[in-house]
Amino acid sequence: MNEAYELDVNGVRYPINAAMDRNLSSVLRTEVGLTGTKEGCDDCECGACMVLIDGQPVNSCSYLAAQAQGREVTTVEGILDGDNLHPLQRNLLEEGGVQCGFCTPGMIMSAQALLTRNPSPTEEEIRIGLSGNLCRCTGYQRILAAVERTAAES
Amino acid sequence: MVIAESPRFMRADGPDKVTGSGRYTADLTLTGMLTAKFLYAGVSHARITKLDVTAARHVPGVFAVLTQADVPDIRYGSVADRTLFSDGVIRFEGEVVAAVAAIDTKSAQAALDAIVFEYEELPVINDVEAALEPDTPLVHENWATYDADDDVSRQANVASFTSITRGDVDAALAGADRVISSRYVADASHAVPIEPRGVVAQWEGDRVTIWSSTQVPFQARDGVCEVLELPTNRVRIIVPHLGGGFGGKCGFHYEAHIAALARASRRPVRLVFSREEEFLAPDRRREGMIIEVTSGLNADGTIAGRRSRVLLDNGAYSSDAAFFPHMAAMHALGPYKIDHVHAEASSVYTNHQPSGSVRAPTAPQACWALESHTDELAKAIGMDPVAFRQLNAVDTGATGVTGQVYDEIGLQECIREAVAASAYGDELADDEAVGVAIGWWPTFPGASGAYIKVDSDGKGVIITGAQECGTGAVMTLPYLAAAELGMAPEDFELVYQDTSVGPYDVGATGSQTLLNNGRATVEAARQIAVQLKQLAAEKLEASPDDIVLNGGKAFVAGSPDSGVTIAELAAIAADGEMLLGRGSGAPPETPEAPNTVSCVGDQGMNGWAGPQFSCHAVRIRLDRDTGVVRVLEVNTAHDSGVIINQIGASGQVEGGVLMGIGQALTERTVYGADAKQMNAGLLEYKLQTMADAPPISIHFAEVYTPDMGPNGSKPIAEAPNVATAAAISNAIAKLVGKPVRLLPMTAERVWETLQEDGA
Repeated sequence: MNEAYELDVNGVRYPINAAMDRNLSSVLRTEVGLTGTKEGCDDCECGACMVLIDGQPVNSCSYLAAQAQGREVTTVEGILDGDNLHPLQRNLLEEGGVQCGFCTPGMIMSAQALLTRNPSPTEEEIRIGLSGNLCRCTGYQRILAAVERTAAES
Repeated sequence: MVIAESPRFMRADGPDKVTGSGRYTADLTLTGMLTAKFLYAGVSHARITKLDVTAARHVPGVFAVLTQADVPDIRYGSVADRTLFSDGVIRFEGEVVAAVAAIDTKSAQAALDAIVFEYEELPVINDVEAALEPDTPLVHENWATYDADDDVSRQANVASFTSITRGDVDAALAGADRVISSRYVADASHAVPIEPRGVVAQWEGDRVTIWSSTQVPFQARDGVCEVLELPTNRVRIIVPHLGGGFGGKCGFHYEAHIAALARASRRPVRLVFSREEEFLAPDRRREGMIIEVTSGLNADGTIAGRRSRVLLDNGAYSSDAAFFPHMAAMHALGPYKIDHVHAEASSVYTNHQPSGSVRAPTAPQACWALESHTDELAKAIGMDPVAFRQLNAVDTGATGVTGQVYDEIGLQECIREAVAASAYGDELADDEAVGVAIGWWPTFPGASGAYIKVDSDGKGVIITGAQECGTGAVMTLPYLAAAELGMAPEDFELVYQDTSVGPYDVGATGSQTLLNNGRATVEAARQIAVQLKQLAAEKLEASPDDIVLNGGKAFVAGSPDSGVTIAELAAIAADGEMLLGRGSGAPPETPEAPNTVSCVGDQGMNGWAGPQFSCHAVRIRLDRDTGVVRVLEVNTAHDSGVIINQIGASGQVEGGVLMGIGQALTERTVYGADAKQMNAGLLEYKLQTMADAPPISIHFAEVYTPDMGPNGSKPIAEAPNVATAAAISNAIAKLVGKPVRLLPMTAERVWETLQEDGA
């Protein structure tokens, strides 16, 4: 049974008509129409679906969409700096931290949450802060470099 | 040519990937699109006694239900042992029995539930050695009637077999000073791309477009054409962004199932795998392996002879695994100077998920065993293991195990540099050690093609059949074209991953993209360079031979200020003979291995074109109370020829090393007594995380390799995955006192080895 409610995603209010048992990643990808949030496991294991809810990183595959009512949802599509890349996005590209790109949106959201909470993280804090995001391509070395550079630049 | 300097290499697909605008297959939606779901066997070995889909076809919202009865009766694969749906016998748990297309997931599931599927179980073949026993039933009762390449040798449950023989190994071992034998057993593991696979198919009239997360779109197209009996020009495979593959998305998988569902339901159909399906179903799993090696040593520490025997777990079907025995045999002999060798390798049918290409297939496991054995050899004669390798490993001018004489290579440089960068020989805490291992991997020359056009504004498009799976290989092509034409990489757009547009390409497999398509792209660009020089010569009243293309201009050599821009020349060409280039490029030849004799099941891999070499040194810390190993640092050195794209190549090394650490310590497939996987999930399978990842240093031994890849290059993507587990094994053995003979070397296995005598 579908129900009508609203979601605030990247500062835009979307009318939603969906079953109450739908998870946030599926509603973002189909009802809202933002596919930057990826689904890699549907079980909170890979981090590809990471979004921010009121600034907190959340695996959206395991969060009911209806629970996000009245909260600010931020996806990878919402972190552009106007028409420019966000420093995390630019540094990931310049450091070579993007290969297949499937983990990248979730990685960016986790890194953004980390840097908001802790603008000058140590290497160890970055490693732990991003340990919920699996990447199979890069060996993480260049992702780490991109986050360190972003912290140093701000 | 090195791209890393200036401008810094920025991948053209990068902005799309970091902003979330990039579309992967699961992101596509077509009007009227249905959802596909498969009925899997869920049992490892059985004979189907009843399969009735009548009720399923009447479930509301269901548009099509298909079984093998609904598609052409065709067997396919490198040994033609495979059918799209079960042929009546179930041979592994992930076998597709039926496929459903329905309006939504719930209707599709209801249809699966309504299928009557009954079977009688057969004894499971869960172990490669048991599969070889004379009274073990055949996984394929009718295998003798299956087609296979003439050079694939088969018998009973052996799907494919290879031997390599050179010299007289019996006499060499009999005359050796010391003879040492080792046995190692590696578990199966998985590719685990973070993107689960997806397929979307849509028919328009008598032609079908299939969007698929494949590494090999042309192979996928050929598979669809074969099993659905269609000409190649009616099947178009388009790959949206591909979310990683690592070999797991090579081959032909589910494109034909979804095309058949779309045709039957007269609607577009989409399949998206769950993570569990990604583990259980595809014909791509890194094979379990048993490796036995016996080496004879001379008094001076040289290797007198080597006998190796390898058993590979082929699984239920052969996919592309028919050449694996040959690769495994080469890796079980190794990049050493040995005149007397004999190797036998068999890929054995079992009721497991089929094996298939996963990054450097067979190499990490076989290298792990051989290099662990190598440290055992050095220890037995009291020789330093690095010195032992420096004495015995091949280098420029040396003769390898198959009689191939190597042109200029950098293996000894790799050993020297990786060890020098490491803490090898330093005073370390008593719970730390450094292990060293060497690896090798062949280069696969092949056909490939590219077109380039330069439009009237001087901007170009490269149209290639090559497939980008994340490595950056396709993203490097604009740099190659730009270098030939004196233009900027940003002047080129790429059109790729579309079989109806690009020329044939083998795909993102065998590390071959930049090797083969790079040559094609350079050749296409050179055709345009000839045209531009002709146009410039007329404009500047000079000879075409004196024209230089540089900085976006054409000018007479020595007079860069009086040239004409490429954009001006392109505008002139647009009114006449347009700027069009095409390249293919004859593939480099594979060298002979002239002294190898009596080779059965020869897959043509005794001589390796452009062999790549590596040495990894790994420092670890061992907790002796728990057996937990922590990797602290990895120092690598690679001979992949001249490096074209430093950032891209380094990314391959770092990613390959981390995959190797996973294989060394945590990644394994656990089979139950019923031959079903017991850990088909990311939490249970255990990939390495950022918190686990060590710092990795890289040295490239940039040996210019003529007549191979562009600019003296060799490939890079698979080689870094070869030697890491082996180096970790040798570090563990130093601390434990003996090697851990099971891969992965989990904490439990390390701890158990610590309790053994001699540890």
